[in-house]
Order: sequence, then C-alpha cells, then structure tokens
Amino acid sequence: MSFDSLPSFAPLASALLPADEMLLHSIVSGLVVMQLASPALTLIVIGLPALLGHPFSERTTTRLVGTGFTTAFLAALATLLALSLRGFSPEQVHLGTWFSVGHHDATIDLVADGLSVPYVCFSTGLCALVNAFAGKYLHREPGFTRFFVLLALFGTGMNLMVLAGSIDVLFAGWEFLGISSTMLVGFFHERTNALKAAIRAFTTYRICDVGLLTAGVMIHRAVGSGDFERLFAGVWPNAGCLVSPGTATVVSLLLVFAAMGKSAQAPFSNWLPRAMEGPTPSSAIFYGALSIHAGAYVLLRCEALLDAAPLARLVLVLIGASTAIHAALVGRVQTDLKSMLAYASMTQAGIIFVEIGLGLRVIALFHIVSHAILRSLQILRSPSALHDRHELEAALGGHPGAAEWSVVGVLPPAVQRWLYRVALERGFEEMAVSRGVIGPARRLLERLADAERAWTDWLGTTALDRAEAKAVERLRGKSR
Amino acid sequence: MMLADTMTIAGMTEPEGHDLRLVLALAATVAPPLVAAFHAWRGGSPQSPRSPAAAALTLSLVASLVITRIWMSGPEVTLELGERLGGGYLIHIDGITAVLLPFVALIELAIILVAPKRFLDGPATARILWSAGATLAVLATAHPLVLIVAWIVTALPTWWSTRATPGGHSAARVYAIMMTLAVTCMTVGTLMMIVDPPWEDGVGAVGTSGGWLVALAVLVRKGIVPFHSWYPALFRGAPMSTALAATMPQVASYTALRLFFGHADHGGGVGTELVVLSQLALVTAAYGAALSIVQRDLRGLIGTLAMSQSALVLAGLAGQLPMELNGAFCTWISSGLALTGLGLVGWALESRAGPLSLETPQGRFADAPLLAAFFLLFGLASIGLPCTLSFVADDLLVSGSLDEQLHAGLLVIAATVLSAIAVMRGWFMVFGGPSTVDGPRHQVLLRERVALTALFATIVLLGLWPAPLVRELDRAGSELLGVPVNAPPPAGHGEAGSLVPPSVAAP
Repeated sequence: MSFDSLPSFAPLASALLPADEMLLHSIVSGLVVMQLASPALTLIVIGLPALLGHPFSERTTTRLVGTGFTTAFLAALATLLALSLRGFSPEQVHLGTWFSVGHHDATIDLVADGLSVPYVCFSTGLCALVNAFAGKYLHREPGFTRFFVLLALFGTGMNLMVLAGSIDVLFAGWEFLGISSTMLVGFFHERTNALKAAIRAFTTYRICDVGLLTAGVMIHRAVGSGDFERLFAGVWPNAGCLVSPGTATVVSLLLVFAAMGKSAQAPFSNWLPRAMEGPTPSSAIFYGALSIHAGAYVLLRCEALLDAAPLARLVLVLIGASTAIHAALVGRVQTDLKSMLAYASMTQAGIIFVEIGLGLRVIALFHIVSHAILRSLQILRSPSALHDRHELEAALGGHPGAAEWSVVGVLPPAVQRWLYRVALERGFEEMAVSRGVIGPARRLLERLADAERAWTDWLGTTALDRAEAKAVERLRGKSR
Repeated sequence: MMLADTMTIAGMTEPEGHDLRLVLALAATVAPPLVAAFHAWRGGSPQSPRSPAAAALTLSLVASLVITRIWMSGPEVTLELGERLGGGYLIHIDGITAVLLPFVALIELAIILVAPKRFLDGPATARILWSAGATLAVLATAHPLVLIVAWIVTALPTWWSTRATPGGHSAARVYAIMMTLAVTCMTVGTLMMIVDPPWEDGVGAVGTSGGWLVALAVLVRKGIVPFHSWYPALFRGAPMSTALAATMPQVASYTALRLFFGHADHGGGVGTELVVLSQLALVTAAYGAALSIVQRDLRGLIGTLAMSQSALVLAGLAGQLPMELNGAFCTWISSGLALTGLGLVGWALESRAGPLSLETPQGRFADAPLLAAFFLLFGLASIGLPCTLSFVADDLLVSGSLDEQLHAGLLVIAATVLSAIAVMRGWFMVFGGPSTVDGPRHQVLLRERVALTALFATIVLLGLWPAPLVRELDRAGSELLGVPVNAPPPAGHGEAGSLVPPSVAAP
C-alpha cells in the first residue's frame, strides 16, 4: 500500500498554489521553517519572561502557545496541499551547515514528504487541542507556566524530530522530547512517587538513546554525512537504501533499541505506567499520543534501512509481539484507569512495531494517528470517568454489565490462576530488571563510593589524629 | 617543534604590529587580576572587595576577547616569543590560547560575582584573583619551567583557601599530598626531558623516563584513576569558588597539550604517554560518571561530574583525528562553563539553605524556583542538551572516538549517559519533595542573575552558532597533529576495530 492509492488533494492544490517549481519550492521551504519556528518562538516568548521571574498571565500564556501550535498546524496543512500537487515527492530544505570538521558535516536539513508533513499536521493539531484543554484543567496550578513552557519545548522537539532531514537534527528533537517528557512526569515534584517515576523514565530514555547516538555515528561513517538524502533514495514509503546490508542491519538494530525506550517496549516498558504521575493533559499527549509513538516514527522514517535488514525486522516483530501480549495481559488486572490506559497504549505500540516489522508502513502510520487520537481522548476524559459512568448508567437505566465471554476463560483454571498472578506482578519484568540489573549495579557503586570516601578520609587525617580518634573510641567503649 | 609556519622572535625584541597588539592585549589580560590581588591582599576596599575584583576580571575578559579578535582577524600564525627551552617558548599564543583565555576569564568573573559575601573577604578575594592571574598567564606559555612554576603558583591558593575553610583540613591535606606528588613528578620529569630531550636524535632512557614522570604528574593533577580521589574531596572540603577555579581551567590538560604534542619521536603527532593517559582517562570518565549517580550530597555530585568531564577532555586530547581533538576542546569549554554554572547555583543554594543532601528529596523548588531553572539548564548543558555547545562537543567526541576505537567510543557514550542520569537525579533530589514554604523565599540577587545568565548565554550562543569556534579549534588541532586542515580521515579509520566497514554510498 502506498500514498498513490489514497485520495489526492492535487486538484484543490493546483487551484491554490503556483505552478512554477522554484516558487513552489520557496513557498514550501518557508512553510516548513514556519512549522518549526512557530513553537520554538513560542517557547522563547513564554520561557524567557518566566526565567526572568515575570511570567505572563494564564490567559496570555495559553493564547500564545495556542497561536504557536495553530500556526504550525496551518503551515503544515498548506505544505500538505503543496506536496499533493507533486505526488508527495520529498522537498528538502537545507538551512545550512551547522558546523564542519574534516569529513564530518553537521547539516541542518529538514524534509517535507508524505510521512513528515501529515505527522506534523496531526501532532501540532493535537498539541493545540491539549493546550486548550490544559488552560482550563491547570487553572491556578502553581506550575501553570512551567507546564506550557514544557509543552512548547515538546512541540518544538516533536516538529524538529519529525521534519528532520538528517540524523543530527532528528537526535536533537529526540533529546528535547526526552527532557520535556521527564520534566512533565515529575511535574508534581513535591510527590515522591512522581520524582521516582521521572528518574526512572529518564534513565530508560537515556540508556536507549545510546542506540540513536551510535546509529548516528554509524550513518556518518557510512555516507560521510547525517543527511537522509545520502542514505535513502526515492519517495517514502518506497525509498531505497544506499548503504550495504551489513551497515543497514547494525544501524537498524541500534534504531530499534532506541525506539524501544521511547515507545515503552519490553523490557523497557515499566516506566510507562508510572509516567502517569504527570498531569492528565501531558499524559494524554505524551503517553497516549505522541511521545509513545516517537520510536515508531523513527523506524518509519528509516524504513528503507529496515528493508535491507531482515534480521532487524524479525527482531522488531518479536519485540512488538511480546510487548503487545505482555501489556494486554497486565493491563487487564490494573485497578486504576490511567494504568490501564498506559498498558493499552503499550499494547497498541507493540502492534505498530509488528506492522512496521512486516513492512506495512502506511497502515502503521494510520494506526499511529488513529490510536493517538482515541487514546488522548480517553486519557483526557479519565478524570471524569466516574461521572461518565454514572451518566451511562442513568441513560441505560441500570448497570451495563461486563462482557460474558473472554479468551482467557477457555484456558484451564490452573493456567488462568497462573496468568492472573503473572499479570498482577506485571510479568515479573520489573522485578527481574530491578533485582538482576539495577539493584546489584547500585550496590556495587555505593560500595565503591563508600570506599572512595574512606580512602580520602584516611589520607586526609594524620597518624596522630587517627591515634587520638582510636584512643577516644577505646575510652568510650570502656565507659560503656 | 613541528610547526612549520611558526614565527619565532627571539629575545622579545622584534614584535611589531599584529604581534605587538597580541602581546599588549595579553599583558592587559593577565595584569588586572594580579594588580587587584595585590590591592586586596594589602587590605584595599575591605568593605567590598568584590567591586575592584569584578572590575579587574571584567577588564581581563575584555582584553582576552580582544586577543581572540586580533587572532581571528590576523594571519593566525603562532606567536612565540622569549627563551626557548624543552620545545616551548616563554610566550606562546596560538588558536588554543586565543580561545581559552576568554573562557577562563569568564569563569573567574562569574565566580567572583556569585560568591556569597561571607566567603569574599580580602584574603579570599586576593587568593581567587591571584589564582586567576596565574592561570591566565599559564595559558600563554609553553615553557616547561614556567609551567612548573605555574603549577605551584596555582596550587598554593587552592590549598590555602581549603585549609582556611572550617572542616576543610582533611581535604586540604589530601590536596597537598596529591599536588606535592604531581609537582615533584613534573619538576623531575621535565628536568630529565630537558637534559635528554626525547624529541631530538639519539633519545636516551633519561628523557623517556622523564616523559613518563610528566605523564604521571598530569595523571595526578587531572584526577585520573587511580589518583582521582582528591577531586570530589576538594569539592566537599573547599569553598566552591576554590574548587571551581582549581579544576575548570584544566591547567594539566594544557600542560599535556604543550609538552606531549608535536615531538619528533611521535612522528609529529601525539605522544605515547598521552595515548596511555587517554586510556586511563576513558576509564575515569565512565567511572566518575557512574559514581556521580550514587553521590549522597550535592558537592559530591558536582565533584564526580567534574572529574568525569575533565577526564573526557584528556581522553579526547590523545585523538589521532582532528575531530576528536576538536571534541575535546569543545568539551573543555562547554563542561567548564556548564559545571561552573552548576557549581555556582549549588553554592548559591547552600548559602541560603545549608548543605544539600541527595539521599532524600530536599523540596527546594518553591524556595528558589529561579535557581531550580538555572540548575536544570546548566545540568542539561553539561550533558549534551541540543542548542548548547555540549551537544556539539558530544557529537564530535563520540564520533571521533568511535571512528578511532570502538571501546573508546563506547566508554565516552557510557560516560555521557551516566552523567545525564546523575544530573537529573540531582535536580529531582534537590528541588523535589514536599516543601515547607508557600512561595519564593530567597530572591536571586542581580549579580548572581547576571553571572549565571552570561554563562548560560555563552553556552547557548556557542551551541547555536558553533562554526567559528569549531573552525578555529579544527585549525589549532590540525596544526598540533601536523595534518592539513580538513584532511580526510587516515587510511584504515572506520575499518579496524570498528562495528562495520564503512560502505560507500552513491547518492
């Protein structure tokens, strides 16, 4: 399936946009820059006064952020129309070379194509809606401005990542996403659980970022630049890969590793339910809609590499399938709504990974968009779930009841009990990671730190002081 | 020396035009802090020693920027003046000097501006200024004997300040032991190298052994494993100003650069000693970052982070590629600015709230939200936040290291990942947790705001527009390595020991 089979906006676009190729290129370039500059400018406009201790009022803040996202959305929509005129052939926007050392060029390249522009439309539209919701939801919250600064940072990072025409730009956007996500998980920083959740989320992100960082270096080594133009040839989703299968496999596996963290795939999934400690609007946009699909987006962007790397695709399918099964099972026994929704998101993200692994890219893109919209709506409504339930019951005139048939019901009772236990313990994933990796590493480091301190204490004390301290200790022992 | 286009003017008799301007600007950079130190030591302005000190360092900063300007607008030919000894000249100004002088001047100025009033009496101010003047002078020399004297001169105020701090005796003793060892090795080693120069024909065992002794001195002075413990100890026991001024300019890295680069026995490239040092530095970078995750107090966190970042610089300096060397220089500057900012924010917090533990959440956000913002920004700027210089530095360092050796690249990546986790943990532990106050209780003073904003603005400005800095450092690095600017990577790079052979792509 490709974009060719989709309804085209070409007749409308040709009526609205100039036919001159150069002029069209200039217009599209301007629109692409606007998609990026709009949330970035918003970030500066509301962030700087806040940093200087003079934040805008709630209403002004919400309006500024809303204007930023709406402008980006409209610019993306116009770009989409312009691209449809040319059959969605990619438009490269070269903003210059950031810096250059020897054979290493860091270029600032953006790309507008059939993947990036629809994605910006969808993400900025969603951000604008959540902005409107959060303006009321967080009214008089002490961290009101902080939330919107982080939302603008997230929007900037998201657009940077989505529009990236090189791995360097993509990595920069990816980092902004991770930082804004972490700060929003720990938004209610006076709660200890929120702090722990934020640290856990950031740790997972950072570990998995190793994949993207190393993949970026590998791409530079392979083609002498981070430009996707030199890595892929053709139009998404049917682009070809310009590197050898060996390089494609290694880079793809590294990208899969990076995507696992952001998209909460097993065994890096246990941060996601805890991330719901953040405010509801951020949970909706991050863990229901955009951030959770960031990994899937990167894989879609680099689909040509995956095409040349069957091993990576197999790994992707296995990871996605196991995460989907794990999350579906665990989600069924959750006792709070946000955790249940977190596992539901994880399940869908797993299925999207499987789709990408199987090469169903356009389906995966549609899946991302539809899942994101539905899930953010569910999360945004979750604080009113009881109210909604009461209304439903009042409308039905009684309890709606539960489903009578379940696939688990066909299994023997012993297996059902075992599955229930596994689901309650979240598949023992967290316990395994905690006891097998984090705990021993932490204990080892603490012992090393203590040993370091004891060594410097010893070195910093004279023999006379040490003898005196020992004598005092002995006297104390005797007196006791 | 391997510098083919070096301009040598013996006896300081012929500097004219461009060179004279450089020399005068250098004098204007080094002299003000020394004069102000003398003034403070003599008891001048006892009520407010900060004002003359800040004025002197502002002058230094302006003069150092003039040097950078003159250098970049001139022929960019290394200026060497005075007596030559052991391969180095008394006055040595090149691209590295032109970049490092304003960096150090800015750090020292920020320290003076943020230092709490009770830590800034006459003698303390004199010590900071003396150390600043000496450090600035060091960055414009390559003369081995002057470098030895500079090591002693810059270490003494640090030891003195630490010893004068209540509870700092232990840290002062550790520092004294380590610095004595470093200075002794440096002195003996340098003398041995001068007697039997390893960069001349007929290299003898004496000169080579001297080189290794100097390497040991650098190892100790830079806090490289196994001589690293004094780094966090100094941050815990000394005033923050002292710890930052002693570690951020990285005098030992500068010494390694001047003494180990460009010797004939190394084929015009990097000394064997530096290569060995770099392997230990890589381990230190990762180890320091790992230790920073489990620190129990804020000072320990900043100390271990500084140790890790400083080791990263040394690790990059041994690179065979200009890119790696460039990454090391950028890390030198970016981590210096960011960690100075982080340390000063920590100091400002401590001066208001006392020592800060990382074992339980301290709930300081409501008390000082602006400091929380600066802490986060500086913390992120030290670990590769996009749009800051550290992002560029990480990119170059990781790319260069991975290009050269797989294990080096992986250790660099491990160090950056672990440092980032430690910084975020530090932020949440210091500012998170239940608060006992309703609103900001401690306002950030104007001088603190100016200093912190200037530091952060510099990091962001250099991050958004790194091309001139990177170009300058690339030129300097290529000159040190004896390769043409923008040379392609040496044959074999990207093949041996790499993950995958590079594929040739035909776009």
